[in-house]
Amino acid sequence: MPMNKGPKDRSAKCTVRRSVHLAALVSALATTGVVVLAQSEPVDPRVEGLTFLGEPVLASQVMAGQQLYADNCASCHGASLEGQPDWRRRLDTGRMPAPPHDDSGHTWHHSDRMLFQITKGGVGAVVPGYESDMPAFGEDLTDAEIAAILVYIKSTWPERQREFQAEVSANDTGG
Amino acid sequence: MKSIEIGCRPNRRKVLAAVLGSGLATVLPRLVQAAVDGDPAALAFDGDTILLADRGLFVSDDAGQTWTAAETLGNVLSLATHRDRPGRVVAGLAEGGVSISEDGGASWRIFEARLPDGEITAVAIASRNPDMIYASLRGDGLWKSEDAGATWSLAMDRPWLDDAERELLSLASVELETGMGGIWIYAGTEVGLTRVPDCFCRWQDVQPGNAMDALVAGEAPPSEAPLPGGEPILSLASAPSAPEVMYAALRSGLWASQDGGVIWQKRASKAATAVAVHPRDETYIAALLGGILKISRDGGATWIETGER
Repeated sequence: MPMNKGPKDRSAKCTVRRSVHLAALVSALATTGVVVLAQSEPVDPRVEGLTFLGEPVLASQVMAGQQLYADNCASCHGASLEGQPDWRRRLDTGRMPAPPHDDSGHTWHHSDRMLFQITKGGVGAVVPGYESDMPAFGEDLTDAEIAAILVYIKSTWPERQREFQAEVSANDTGG
Repeated sequence: MKSIEIGCRPNRRKVLAAVLGSGLATVLPRLVQAAVDGDPAALAFDGDTILLADRGLFVSDDAGQTWTAAETLGNVLSLATHRDRPGRVVAGLAEGGVSISEDGGASWRIFEARLPDGEITAVAIASRNPDMIYASLRGDGLWKSEDAGATWSLAMDRPWLDDAERELLSLASVELETGMGGIWIYAGTEVGLTRVPDCFCRWQDVQPGNAMDALVAGEAPPSEAPLPGGEPILSLASAPSAPEVMYAALRSGLWASQDGGVIWQKRASKAATAVAVHPRDETYIAALLGGILKISRDGGATWIETGER
């Protein structure tokens, strides 16, 4: 059978062309949609199971805190949060060495509020008269930076220590 | 974990000790009376039984009226018991090490994985965990065992008070919340009272619970009446039935606190060298006062001498 090349054939060609255009449009829209959807996903996700002073913690805070820790804390508390050697033994000055901030130390026994106070105001802010080599960071770091350092430290703890410290923080009703 | 035990087989030393012990049971009150101010001595309640370490270990089941000598693995300087583990007695030894009895002092063992050499000036059992034992090592620091004496680790260096490290002469695990998920360990030193949370972050003064709030608010600090400064605290006790009730033995006398060591009042003026409180009655205390063992059933308001005189 000879092929029909009359108006119907042209109409069919147009239909095919429209379909192709439509498909391309749909595809383009779909691609755009994927991009739009991808852009609507949170670029700074929450860190599961971690809060600070009752607020959720974002991944960007932990990353910022890691750098701030390296710049301000690691020289005493250790690059891996391991503390100074023999940290349970007093120095010749009578002061105690910097303790570890990992799960081998005692940091996870303290509430968020107390950790923030110690970092901002020094140990004397929570134990009046206590002499320590740890400076008060309140004049060098913003509150947000101190919080970032602390959430970084908290992010390194195993689950048991995180849960324990979360309970201590929840029960801390002081000041 | 291997341990050395006594109390199983008789030998010449034990027979001699038993013979001497039976004699001592009658002469002990005079020995108790002979104890002088400052002599190392320790007291503990194991249920209703009173244990006295004073140049030997002696046990009384009748509130101090009669005593029986018990054999030990050394010269006992310090004693600790626990209300939830009747029969368990922890003894710190002058020769070093901590020995443990599970039968009220009838037999003892000491683990091979012992503490470093040195006199054990004080021992305590954690109020919430009878397997957690604390021991202070003269010239060294505070050690802890989480497995009833089988293994030990350093918990904390000695406290820094008046520009020097100070010996821990007495210890008490006090079941008062620290706000750090645990409780306090109080320590008597050569120059006064101090305490450390059981997370061992730092030694610190005893303060009223709301002292920091007052500081922040700029208000007058809460009232305090501390123990006399610069005086050795030879013995400390916290009542298991009411942990805020504490007693302290000092050369200036026997002191009591109703609020976890913030405000102290003198309960006896004679030099006190040891004190213990009953596990179920915070007003029932035993103390060595002026070298004589005395009992009080009213928190130290009145005292009764024990044994023959």
